Amino acid sequence: MSAQLSLKEIERKAFRSTYQDGLWDIYYGLIVMCMSIFVYRPPKGYSPMNIILSTLMISLSYGLFWAGKKYITLPRMGQVRFGSMRKQKARTLAIVLGVFVLIQVGLVGLTTLGWLNPDAGAKLNTYLNERNSGLLVVAVIGALMVGPSIIVIAYFSDFPRGYYIAIMMALAVFVMIYLNQPLYAIMIGGLIILPGLVLFVRFLKTYPLQPKDGSYE
Amino acid sequence: MSENTGSPALTGLADLDRLVHEPARLAIMALLYVIESADFTFLMNQTGLTWGNLSAHMSKLEEAGYLEVEKSFKGRRPNTTLRLTPQGRAAFHEYAQKMKRVFQDLPA
Repeated sequence: MSAQLSLKEIERKAFRSTYQDGLWDIYYGLIVMCMSIFVYRPPKGYSPMNIILSTLMISLSYGLFWAGKKYITLPRMGQVRFGSMRKQKARTLAIVLGVFVLIQVGLVGLTTLGWLNPDAGAKLNTYLNERNSGLLVVAVIGALMVGPSIIVIAYFSDFPRGYYIAIMMALAVFVMIYLNQPLYAIMIGGLIILPGLVLFVRFLKTYPLQPKDGSYE
Repeated sequence: MSENTGSPALTGLADLDRLVHEPARLAIMALLYVIESADFTFLMNQTGLTWGNLSAHMSKLEEAGYLEVEKSFKGRRPNTTLRLTPQGRAAFHEYAQKMKRVFQDLPA
């Protein structure tokens, strides 16, 4: 039994070592910053530039993440393929996230239904406006969409810092929608990036480039 | 002919696979047992062995047929992927079972 436990620990330690570079934290932080532009509603009205700019920034963030993994992490840390247990967890994660997406599609569907059925939409709007809580409800729904999704990813990916990221991302979405102030979200993004940067610097010091280029003779 | 009167636990210890029993090789095999495959750099980082040391142990495991070595190129960089063979897995499993039997009645 104890032998099994320690082997499990070896596997978990090896798996978690792939997060030591802090790149996921940096990537999620950048995503939050990009989202702040996407969600921001300027006084002159929502512009397609919001979407274009945030899409470009998200693509750039992903490019940086990918390049970091490929050119910085892998040559230093090496490559590994994990066993069937991890693959099973990845499949389960895909299914759970699929359910989350379906729920979100359902919510979008309900919104569309409200548009198509003005009476029902008007009733809901009146109800929310009476309580001056329209934006609050949207902000809470937005936070509930993002937070649990990231918690699920953190759980199935065995990524403990993901729980912190999930809470911060949910908070960022709530603040972005409710206060319509991108600065808060950018600050929250910075709070996600900061530990990532510390880990990244530590990673570079701990794992220097291997002079023998990782080949075995 | 003298009859073998030794304790089964002790004779079990004498039968241990010495190739697996060596601490550095045990670490390598334990790691490769719980993953599918890894490259040389990853194994070096995880086990804390030096390049030369790891290379020497790899050769021994490969000669015994416990390890499968696949050489390839990632871009222009040579890359060596290592995985346990079914024989290596069986040897590690058997070693673990023997050790478990030896220590299961260890008084606290």
